[in-house]
Amino acid sequence: MIDQEVGARSWTGPSLSWGRNERDHGGDDSREAERHVFAGVRLILLGVTSVLQASLGFGALLTYPHHPAARVAFAVLVSVTLLCAFWVVRREPLPRAVVVAGVVAVMAASAVATAVLPSYELFGPAHWSWGQIGWSLLLLLLDRVPALLAAQAAHIVLGVGQWLLAGTPDRAEIGNVGVVVLSVTSLQLGALVMTRFMLRNAAQAVEVAAERERAATRAALAEQWEQDLRAGFAGQLGSTLPLLADLADGVLDPRDDDTRQRCALAATQLRRLFVENDDVPDPLVHEVTACVHVAERRGVAVSLAVSGAPVPVPTDVRRELTGPLVEALAAARERARVSLLRTEGEVRVAVVSDAEVEVGTARGRVEVEGGTYGRHTRMEARWRTS
Amino acid sequence: MADELSAVVVDDHPAVRAGVAYWLSSGTPPIRVVAGGDDVRSAWLGEGANADVVILDLHLGGPTPVLGDLRRLVEAGRRVVVYSMRADDDIALQCLELGALCYLTKAEGAEHLVQATRAAAEGRPYTPPSLAGALAGDRSDHRPALSAREVEVLVEWFQSESKDFVAQRLGISLSTVNSHLERIRVKYALIGREAPTKAALVARAIQDGLIGVDDL
Repeated sequence: MIDQEVGARSWTGPSLSWGRNERDHGGDDSREAERHVFAGVRLILLGVTSVLQASLGFGALLTYPHHPAARVAFAVLVSVTLLCAFWVVRREPLPRAVVVAGVVAVMAASAVATAVLPSYELFGPAHWSWGQIGWSLLLLLLDRVPALLAAQAAHIVLGVGQWLLAGTPDRAEIGNVGVVVLSVTSLQLGALVMTRFMLRNAAQAVEVAAERERAATRAALAEQWEQDLRAGFAGQLGSTLPLLADLADGVLDPRDDDTRQRCALAATQLRRLFVENDDVPDPLVHEVTACVHVAERRGVAVSLAVSGAPVPVPTDVRRELTGPLVEALAAARERARVSLLRTEGEVRVAVVSDAEVEVGTARGRVEVEGGTYGRHTRMEARWRTS
Repeated sequence: MADELSAVVVDDHPAVRAGVAYWLSSGTPPIRVVAGGDDVRSAWLGEGANADVVILDLHLGGPTPVLGDLRRLVEAGRRVVVYSMRADDDIALQCLELGALCYLTKAEGAEHLVQATRAAAEGRPYTPPSLAGALAGDRSDHRPALSAREVEVLVEWFQSESKDFVAQRLGISLSTVNSHLERIRVKYALIGREAPTKAALVARAIQDGLIGVDDL
């Protein structure tokens, strides 16, 4: 059906592919969007962290004399970044174990790198680890905001604590350290805030896309429904539309016998179509009676007989059963005998009339048989109930 | 005029009684309506008691069909043609089971009534098209087994209302159509309740060679 077709249409962009199954899976889609935002931002953070580690970190290690433990701490930080890179480049979320181990390792490396520095170097150019730790933490804990804030706070408290323990700083030193701490932290928090913004936008985009998709589906369904209705009506209107067109164009003469015959057919078809969906106990008898009424209005003496207990007949079978009846009745001139018989295994609709035109035969679910016998023309439509 | 067939018409509508009397008297040979009334008493008293055929309306003023009266008439050996407004299969089959020789709906015209009355006068059943439909659509458990040809005749007769047409359609003679219809009625008579008319009907069928003694 049409809704499946629309639902299966996937929107797989190069970076964002949360457009799948928009309609009924809003929750899944926003989680998917979130994952994509995190994956994208992490990729950027991986780049930032690597560049910073290679330039500022490694540079500082080379430039300033360092305790061997600092090199180990640097190696740990680089290892954590490389470890993260394994998942980040594949755009996958970091496993919890990796995150926990990474955070512990980074915090430990930070503590070691800070501890081995002489106190006067703290927050100076030689204190390479200070700025780097924040980025590593951001990389590890981007999608775990409370943990990230806690870790950042711990990092700042530890760093500043170590610095304070080393001796009472003067005002200028406090100012310098404050600037360093503030600038580094605000940049990192800025990245975090930016990510939250992107997340919100992505969620909105998903919603909009889903709504658009829903609207498209509704439109497609409505269109399909209308088409079905048109097709159904056009199919069932039979000869009515071309007949009306020809009458309007003056191609047909209403005084002509053939035209009258066609009008009779169209009228009977319409009458049958109008009663098709009526809610009555015996719809088949109802439809047959409607067809008979049209013929009677035309002046045909119709005798209608119904026998046998009613059986349920599906609408389309009813249509097939009454279709030939309509034709046969429309062709009748003065008399017609219409009968509906429900036997044990069959429903049989028959017309015996003084018509000169035969109804064609048909094979299938409903068998239609027509023939002329002397002055009588006979039509019978049979449907096997079992 | 002793050979003239006679009938009594029991119907609550005077116009129907008058119409039936006219139809019957204008046939050849004419059937004389000797009595009539809106009550079944007219079939038991006076001239009506000796009439050859009782033409009985099932609804005589009341809402319930007078099936009891029908049964009593049949048990007394009267030949009854039921003439009713109702085109109801069940009622028709019920009347046959009680022993009516014909069930005719008022939608069916003079021709059928005359033929039914004439047949009844001879103790023969008559099966009008609507009754043929009721028999063809009969889905009751105790219905008799009909041959394929018998069913065909029933259905064709129901559908066309013309025995000529049935004969032409099935490639048989008119008399064969009639004997099929009669044999079907004999089969129904054999499964139904005992009644003098039915016994006579079966006896006649054996006499006519419609059924053999083995079929009983």
